[in-house]
Amino acid sequence: MRAARPALPEPACRPVRRAPETLHPALWLGHQWGRSAAAAAAIASGFARLDDQLPGGGWPRRCLSELLLPHPGIGEIRLLAPPLVAAQRAGRPVMIFDPPAALSARALARLGFDVEQLLIVNTRARLIPGSDSLWALEQALKSGHVGAVLAWLPPRLRADRLRRLQLASHNHDGAAFVLRELAAAGRPTASPLRLALQAAGADRLRLRLLKRRGPPLEAPLDIALPAVLSEAAARRTQGIREPALHEATFVNLA
Amino acid sequence: MLWIALHLPALSLESFMATLASEPQAAAQRPVALLEAHRIASANAAAQALGVKPGLKRATALALAPQIVLGQADAGRDATALLPVAHAALAFTPMVCLQPATTPGAACDTVLLEVQSSLRYFGGHERLLQRLHASLRPLGHVVRSASAATAQAAALLSRVASPPHCTDLATTRQALEVVPVWLLGPGREHWEALQGMGLRTLADLLALPRVGLARRFGEALLDEIDAALGRRPDPRDPIVLPATFESRLELFARADTTEQVQQGASVLLERLVLWLAAQHAFVRRFRLLMHHEGRGSQGERSPQASALDIALAEPSRDSAHLLVLLREHLARLQLPAPTLELALQADDITKRAPPNQELFPTTQGEREGLTRLIERLQARLGTDQVRRLVAVDDHRPEQASQAQALDGRAASGGSGGGRRAARSTAKHRRSLAGPMPEASHGEVGERPVWLLPVPEPLAEKGAGPLLEHRPLKLLAGPERIEAGWWDDALAERDYFIAQAPEGALVWIYRERWPLSTRASGGNAATVGGWFLHGRFG
Repeated sequence: MRAARPALPEPACRPVRRAPETLHPALWLGHQWGRSAAAAAAIASGFARLDDQLPGGGWPRRCLSELLLPHPGIGEIRLLAPPLVAAQRAGRPVMIFDPPAALSARALARLGFDVEQLLIVNTRARLIPGSDSLWALEQALKSGHVGAVLAWLPPRLRADRLRRLQLASHNHDGAAFVLRELAAAGRPTASPLRLALQAAGADRLRLRLLKRRGPPLEAPLDIALPAVLSEAAARRTQGIREPALHEATFVNLA
Repeated sequence: MLWIALHLPALSLESFMATLASEPQAAAQRPVALLEAHRIASANAAAQALGVKPGLKRATALALAPQIVLGQADAGRDATALLPVAHAALAFTPMVCLQPATTPGAACDTVLLEVQSSLRYFGGHERLLQRLHASLRPLGHVVRSASAATAQAAALLSRVASPPHCTDLATTRQALEVVPVWLLGPGREHWEALQGMGLRTLADLLALPRVGLARRFGEALLDEIDAALGRRPDPRDPIVLPATFESRLELFARADTTEQVQQGASVLLERLVLWLAAQHAFVRRFRLLMHHEGRGSQGERSPQASALDIALAEPSRDSAHLLVLLREHLARLQLPAPTLELALQADDITKRAPPNQELFPTTQGEREGLTRLIERLQARLGTDQVRRLVAVDDHRPEQASQAQALDGRAASGGSGGGRRAARSTAKHRRSLAGPMPEASHGEVGERPVWLLPVPEPLAEKGAGPLLEHRPLKLLAGPERIEAGWWDDALAERDYFIAQAPEGALVWIYRERWPLSTRASGGNAATVGGWFLHGRFG
């Protein structure tokens, strides 16, 4: 019997063990990085530690990158400035939709933006009859003429609205950042990349990759933002961290 | 000489269908007929399928097809509808004329154009005909074309069953032989006599002695035959393009909704585009006038006409783009009363070379696309909702950045920025020129990206400010900003960069209250204390 077994011919239809990603760009295994055709030309985020963790080595083109943050002003502009500035340097327009507060031209110029070329669109200033405020964003993504988009979405956005935007962004050859409230983390999303942002001290940002094409990232990612504080002031933050801890332990004891 | 005749056999029916302001697909299924002196003059295919034929009485037609839409034939309306066809022809040659109608009172339905000198430019007779038909297609007319060496021959040949295209005189004369005699204008009067004599075609007439023909049927018949055969000069007056565009469309069914207005306006826009193409021009702004139904006693209160002005950032003659803009503007408009008549006016045009067609996307194509996108957004959201930031030299942070509505020229400026840079003052440019704008201004501290529109008062505990009931740590500062005594917006503040308990950096200030109370008249509730003014995003 043992001699007979090797005599059996190998089944012809036995699948050849080939890596799935070589068969089709949309195929990959759970423990691998998602490699799509667009990911080959991902946009460098400007932060090496973040690039290492993003599929394709940067922010994706032709799809939405969803960022969840508790409130504006924790360093999100400094995080997103490099790809936006790169788009401007390449001669392509950058559009900002529904910024939550007034933008400071001087601060943006210091981050490298060509301020007068930024287009700011307010869609919620007036109630548009029979349409939603995402129409403008969808048009911009669909047109394919915008280099990068940074948009604040209205709270409690329905998943199908986001799916429409995601479909529209297939035409958009560039980064498309949509910023939403932190509570959206519990709801499903159509965008292939979702990050939660959190302040982690002065000039530091903590990122949690909630969703990406590839293995989940358990540990949060701390990155250092371009410093606002001078070195002396930064040292002061170290100094005052200690008493704050003592205060906390004191409260606990009580 | 090479003449092309464009004959529109169903012009009056088509010009009436345009006034119905309905979808083209729906219009094709709807039986429509035109009345002239209480008899059916023409009927469309849907009406003919129901048995409605030209010549029937009105009551008979209504009995056959109760749902039929009956309109009155209107020579003036037909003439208005024929004019865009002539304008389309003017894009190919300056010598365009209308063939006068054979029967008095009827509207002419044939446009003649002389193209001998344009053949080389347009790549030959075949290619020119193709392009001519392509440019007429948006108008939606049935167009039959014939070519001949003389104008009269082309007009005659365009009415025969299968119009030939003859390029020289010999073939033209040959083709004319089979033309029925009743197509000749004077021949129609003598139709019965000609028929009685067994003379059916032009060849039959030509076989007869000229003197006898002239005596029996008059000189006019011979003159027309000679003009067609090229034996007699046939001078024609070319039509002249009007300097400004104005076209009207009286709606048969009053338009209650903006969609119906838009359907009617799309007809007018196609006419506008052809008028522009005839003079190689692009429109900068146009105006749609809507004449409304008066409402009896309320007629005084409801306006009789409303106008919609549409200005373009980039001159255009793309009918699809113009229609999109018009749709966005119309969607925002509330019609005071049903619309009876539409008129489109345009006089602000610019003449220039047409843009190059590109195989691959280029920066210029992208810039044009962006301009159109911005135009669309402005049309829907309002002009002042698409803005750009302008840095202003002012120490007060709330004054240092101003959002300005994007005007048309700024939108088309693109990233080259030549025109835009020229418009912003030299001062602004200097402040943004280098990566470190404060180099020429002395030391200026860091500014946060986000500025609160109204500074938020902060609670205090001891001497320190609280944010969300937790103390803020002051990290850098103070930076004193004291400016604005000249424009009644005095700011006397000491700014600090502070760290919120969660770790993010905020920009807070303390009002220098003793001076402020003196300046603002002692409103103690708003002066003094800590304020949150910005966040470092």
